[in-house]
Formats: sequence, structure tokens, C-alpha cells
Amino acid sequence: MNSQIFHPFVLPFVLGMAFVLTYCLVGLVRVVLQLPKEDRKKFLRSLVTPKIAWANIRDLFGDCLFHVKIWKRNPILGYMHSTIAFGWFMIIVIGHIMLFTLKPLEGVEAEGFARTFTNFYYPIFYKFFATETPVFAFLMDFFLLVIISGILIAVVKKIHSRIVGVKRVTKFGFADNMIRFALWTIFPFRLIAEKTNIMAFWWLYSFDLLIFMCMLPFTRYMHIPTEALFILMRHAGLKAREPRKGYNLAQLYSCPSCGLCIDACPMSVNDKNSGNTSAYFMKKLRNGDSEDAKRIAETCLMCGKCVMICPVSIESCDIKFSQRAATPYYINSDHSYLENVESSSSDISTVLYFAGCMTQLTPIIMRAMKQIMEAAGEEYEFLDKDGGICCGRPMLLSGKVAEAQAMIAKNTELIKKSGAKKLVLSCPICYKVFKDEYQLEGIEIQHHTQYINELIKNGKLKVNKGNVNYVYHDPCELGRAFGVYDEPREVLENVGNLRKAKSEKELSICCGGSLGSFNLTQKERDEITNNSVADLMFNNPDEIVTACPLCLKTFARKSPVAVKDIAEVVSEQLTS
Amino acid sequence: MKENILIIGGGAAGMEAATQLQKMGLTPIIVEKSEKLGGHIAQWDRLFPAFHPAKDVVDQMLNQVKDVKTYLNTEVTDIQKDNNGFHALLSNNETIDAKAVVLATGFDVFKAERKQEYGYGIYNNVMTSVELERFFKTGKDARINNPKKIGFVHCVGARDVKVCNTYCSKVCCTTALKQACEIREVFPDAEVYTFYMDLRMFGPGYEDLYLKTQKDFDVKCIRGRVCEVSEDMDGRLVIKAEDTLFGKPLKMTLDVLVLMCSMEKNKSIDAIQAKLGIANNSDGFMQNKDMYLGMNGTSQDGVFVAGACIAPKSLPDTIGEARSVATQVFNYINR
Repeated sequence: MNSQIFHPFVLPFVLGMAFVLTYCLVGLVRVVLQLPKEDRKKFLRSLVTPKIAWANIRDLFGDCLFHVKIWKRNPILGYMHSTIAFGWFMIIVIGHIMLFTLKPLEGVEAEGFARTFTNFYYPIFYKFFATETPVFAFLMDFFLLVIISGILIAVVKKIHSRIVGVKRVTKFGFADNMIRFALWTIFPFRLIAEKTNIMAFWWLYSFDLLIFMCMLPFTRYMHIPTEALFILMRHAGLKAREPRKGYNLAQLYSCPSCGLCIDACPMSVNDKNSGNTSAYFMKKLRNGDSEDAKRIAETCLMCGKCVMICPVSIESCDIKFSQRAATPYYINSDHSYLENVESSSSDISTVLYFAGCMTQLTPIIMRAMKQIMEAAGEEYEFLDKDGGICCGRPMLLSGKVAEAQAMIAKNTELIKKSGAKKLVLSCPICYKVFKDEYQLEGIEIQHHTQYINELIKNGKLKVNKGNVNYVYHDPCELGRAFGVYDEPREVLENVGNLRKAKSEKELSICCGGSLGSFNLTQKERDEITNNSVADLMFNNPDEIVTACPLCLKTFARKSPVAVKDIAEVVSEQLTS
Repeated sequence: MKENILIIGGGAAGMEAATQLQKMGLTPIIVEKSEKLGGHIAQWDRLFPAFHPAKDVVDQMLNQVKDVKTYLNTEVTDIQKDNNGFHALLSNNETIDAKAVVLATGFDVFKAERKQEYGYGIYNNVMTSVELERFFKTGKDARINNPKKIGFVHCVGARDVKVCNTYCSKVCCTTALKQACEIREVFPDAEVYTFYMDLRMFGPGYEDLYLKTQKDFDVKCIRGRVCEVSEDMDGRLVIKAEDTLFGKPLKMTLDVLVLMCSMEKNKSIDAIQAKLGIANNSDGFMQNKDMYLGMNGTSQDGVFVAGACIAPKSLPDTIGEARSVATQVFNYINR
């Protein structure tokens, strides 16, 4: 019946495919050319480095096709994504393998150039032009049905997202909604066309493909091809630089706007602020809506929860930093005083304690640290007893890298001069910058939770186990940033009973006091704090314990029970 | 016409309202939770702006209410309203029937521990304005040991978003200057500094006090907030502040630091207030009908408010409001 090798309905598909391939190729070249020279070298070299290449292959399959990370978060969503992605991939792969086994109807076979051309669309429309061995035909039908089962879940999610465990979903414009509709209908149309051979459905199927592929570059579905590039670039160790160029551009287009970060974001406690979440930031920046992107970058608390939860592993905080760095904030900073700062510490100490600005404002922590170090018989010195220099993190948070570096350089000089073997910090904000930015070879950097845990473990510090029920709040810059989850909990189990919060460890909710945000109002911060406190109070603890002076101050204003730093709790339980 | 009027709170507002209501021929009944009448002002030594002894005013007030039925060490534990008026259950299990209720529950002093950066409760020599006043009254405080350098911090717990109090506490500016002068009187050799954001000298004679503080008492007023306090080896206090007029940060070593604590709403009345259906305003104080002609009224017919339970207030303002509430209650009874 179909004694031909061509039918006009394949043209929409061919056109769409040609367009999207060209677009992606041009985009790829553009992104790679935008990379700074050293990054480009690093990237190209990574492609032939066996270890990185293996990680690339692993993640290309694991993330792009099987969506392992979504499976871990939410199996229903995982099924939805992986059936559509992997199913479609298999249809394409099997379709191309079939090119070798297809039997043309009535023996009409294309030759030469025509053969190459038909190969382009045969796998897509094979049932119209050829017959297939039962095994392949079964596999094709099977994967088509698998895809449709995933699409059914997507439709349910669209109608009522809570059924699949999602509270808030990203709101989309016309283009995104339309391409989604095209995607949903491609496969049912194909199924109907293949089973009934009604010409109208072959046309609808082909036109759907055209719409999908032509709209793809301008919608969130661009993440499908871009994610592959992003995985390669991420494994090459590239860093976010300019907000909308190179590596960042690849990240921006890799965001599928899935909206998992909307529920995760602490700001979403107020529905009005859920528009300030990373999903929208990526969208605005991608679409060149720079005013909105700038505003959201400035509003973000930088707690890192969206980065942790992101199924694509997009470093949205880094992109926000690069956006901030690109904004000329008129901060009149004068660092000339740095020259005259002298170290107050002598060179006999083995442990150097740096309280930092926030701990200076919470002197209970300093006093407790002093008691602990005395009790443990440590040889210690306070680096910033008479007021020290800021660690540099606030300047970094505002994108002021040079200003931060001036302070980092001076602090590095003071610390190295002290001859200390170990640097102890009680502020995770400091800890992050000391770990990430300081070059302190030969000096061990510890947060006081790690330090106290070590003192207890090696028997230097003797503590009593009291009867107080504690709940521990993971500070963002200690937990999500460095995975310090166990040490503070071990310490607390030594001095009392540890109760669980509702959201713990990497799911811990920002206290709301973060230095990260420039423009959240106090009221909006209070909403976040109340939400976080309620989460911590889930198991009715007697006291909330944290390990960050800023969390401490923030919670103290809103908590129904006492809020203490871990050092204070330990100092109360010292064996005298 | 002997109608009972229940007055909750026996401080300046409660006593003055009772005095006036009694003169109007009504029967005020004061319920006071502490062991004596007088409220915060009875703890005070002298009053601004003219250093008038507080005892003088308090004694007059006490004398005026000596015939008023008063319950001490008593709280209202429950209150109901019906067509006959209000029925209050007291903590001593007595009940009071009253035609109207006056809430004169006043304020609580801000807990200075909440501004941990100022080191109250951590460093020995940080004290509150209330404690300093007690020192003036009794002459005793272990922390005050012939100090050479004394500092005052204004607005502790007021105009401070970080402690959720955005309002001005109104009286601390003038109190700080009064206390600064007084401490110079006690220790003429001491240097005295005050750290302020603005000096709000709103009343008669207050601005004169400000000039006198600088001219006659040589108190140094520095415009800028203290940001943090620490202790040096000798237990002296090292403060960091900013002099915003010079635009420079400064560091100073002090022997005593006095925190001018703000007024916060007295929360011990919250349960009764809720039973009466009266909300709080955005500053957390009681919501009155409006700021002008309805300043003593509330959303509940027959329930009136006066004094620092509505907002931070000076003694003269409180007395004025107590007199006005008496008129309002009188009009309500005779409506």
C-alpha cells in the first residue's frame, strides 16, 4: 500500500530536526568559544582524561537518561522523567539499529543519496514505510507505551501536583505550555498513526515534532541537549564566571525549570517569595531579564538548599555570585587600616582560635570556648581578642572579590606568623571562607564542633551526660557546604539526649538570618525563622542547639525554648 | 450611684485613675499583682527633667488612694462579660462584679540579655538603667566601685529591628541624661559618655536638661550606636562604637556600662486581654480605639486602657491619660 520511499508528511520533522541540530551545533561552538582560554584548555583536556571521561559516561546515563537523582528525591517523579527520557532514547537507538533490518514494503528500496536521506526519517516513521521483525516491533511498541505511562503521570502532576508529592510547581508562559502540550501529544499521535495508519495522525505526529524541535531552543526543553554539555563542563571543573557566558550559559540552559527548588527554598514559606527561587532566577537570567535576575540574586539567602536538591546539580548560588560580581555596587570600602593591624597572638600557641565578627557579638560562645580549651589543657591563643579583621565572606557575598582578598591576605599573614598548627573557628561563615579561599598549608582548619568532638574523643575533654533533650540545627555553611553533620551530633550525644528535627542535615532550613540576602525585609526573614523554628521544635526538645553565632542570634528572637551554641552546651557539662 | 470599676494594675496610671473615679462618685477597685502599689515609678529615685524625688509623687498618689479598695498580690484569673457588666475571678478566688474595666497594666523592662553583644549577664560591669536607678536610691551596687569611666547606651531594645522592637521607647533619652548627670554628681572625677542615635528631647525642660548635661556636667554625648562590648584582662569593658558625626569607628575602655532598656508590653495580662478580645498593635502594645478621641477606648465596650500598656510613656503623660480614662469611664457609666 505504501509503495514509496517518501511522503510529504516527513517534511515537518526533517525541517525541525535540521533546525534544532544546527541551533545546537552553533550554540555549542558559541559556548565553547566564550570560555576563557584556560577554561577551554581544561575542558578539552578533560574529554580525553580517562577518569573524567568515565564520570562523564556515568552521569550522562545516570542523570540525563535514568534521572537517578530525581528517583532518590521522589520515585514518582523519577519514574515520570526516566520513562520519558530513557524511553525516547531507546526508541531512537532501536530505530537506528533497525535501519539494518527493515524490510521495505513491496520491496521498494532507496539507493545512494536517497538512501542516506531516508535513513534520516525512516526510524521515526518506519511503520509507514517498512515492516520489522517481531522482536524489534515489540520493543518499539513497548518503549512507546513506557513513554506514554510517564506522560500520564505528567498530566496528573499538571492537574494536581500534590498527588505526586510536589507542593509548588514552576509557573510557565505560553511558549513553555505549548511545547509541553506538543511533547505530550507526540507519542499518542505516533501510537495512533502506527496502529491505524490514518494519514491525519502521521501529519499531526510530524507537526508535533516540528513544533517541539522549533520551540526547543526557546523554552526550558533546551535542557535536554544542554545538560549533556553541562555535565562534561562540570566534570572538567569549570567555575562560574560571567553571568550569561560560557559555562554559566550552559548551566542556565540546563535548568529544566522542574521547580524542585521551589518547595526546597526557605523563602517559599511566603508564597509571594516563591518567585525568588532559583528556578525563576535561572529562567529570568536565561531570558535576559537582567533586572529581575539581579534582584533575585540579591534576595537569595545563599543557603545552598536548591543546589543540594537540584537533579541537574546546577550551581545556582555560584551563578548568583557571578551576577553580583557583575554589578557595580557602590560600596566605599577603605582597607588602608589593614597595614597597621598587628597580631595579638604570641608564637607559642598550637591552637589558634579565631572568633570572627559574629562571635564577637555573641560573647557567650567565646567564653565557653575559653572554658573548654582551659578544661582540655590546650595551649591556645585568641587571634582576634582585641578585634580582628573580618574573614572576608561578607565582601565575597556581595561580589567584592578584590576587597575580600585584601582581608584574606592580611589574615593569612597574621595566622602564618603565629606558628599555630591548628585554626579553630566557631563561625561557619568564617569556616567556609577559610576552607575555600585561604591558602594555609600545614595548618589544620577546624570548626569548633569538629574540634570539641576531637577533644572529647581523644579523652582530653571530660564531659557529663545531662538529661537535657537537644535538637541540633545544621548551619547552612557548615552542613550543606562541608557535610559536617556527624561531629556536632556526636558531641551532643555525649552531653545530653539528641532529638531529631523534622528536616535534618542537608534538608535543614536556613535560620533566616543569613548574610547572603541584601534585600529581604525583617518581616520576610521572620517568616523564614518561624518556619525553621517550628521544624526544629517537631520533637519538643528542651533546647535548640546550633553551631553558628548568626543562627543563634536569629533563633533567639523567635524560639519558644532556649537557644544555645554547642560550645555553651558543652561548657555547661564540663567535668570539674 | 455606687458602680464598681475594676482597675487592673496599681501603678501610676491605675492609682491616678482610681483617685479620679472615686472623686466622681464611682467605686474603683484596684487589683495589683505585686505586693505594693506604685508600679515601676516606686522603684525610681528621681524624675527628669528637674531631678524631682519620685517618692514625693508616689507618696501623694498613695495617699490619694488610701480609701480605695485594693487587692495586693492578686491577679485577675478569669473575666466574663454579660448584660450586667463584667465578672472577674481573682487569684484569691474572690469575684468582683464591675460595670467597667480599666486596663492599666503598664510595661515590662526589656530583658537586656537579649542584646547579647552588649554583654549583660556575661560581663560583670554591664548594668541596666533600672539597676543604676536602684543604686541612686540605695547607694548600693557591687559593680559600681568608684568608676573612672562610665558609658550609657541608648535605645537598648528600642528602635531595633533585630530584637523586633521598632518603636521609640520615649523616656530613655531623657532618663539617660538625667542618670548621666547624677552619676557625675556621685563621682565628680568620672568621665561619662552617652551613645545615642538621636536625642529625643520632646518635653518641657528636656532640651534644657540636654544643654545642662553637656555644659554643667561635662557629659560627652556621642552620636552613634555601640556595636559590641568585650572584657579585657582586668575585667574592664572594651566597647566598640561609631562616632557618626566624625564618621569614624572608636574603641573605648569603660568601668561601667549602663544599658538604657526600653519598655515592652507587660505580657502577664495577655490571657485576660485575649478573653476581653483586645488585640495588640504592631508594636505589641494594646490596641486602643484610635490615637485621638478614642485613645482610652478599646474594641470591647466597657473596657478602657490607660498608661504604658498602650505605648511607652513618661510619668506626666501617664497621669494625664489616667485622668482622661476616668472621664471616659464616667461618661460610659452615665451614658
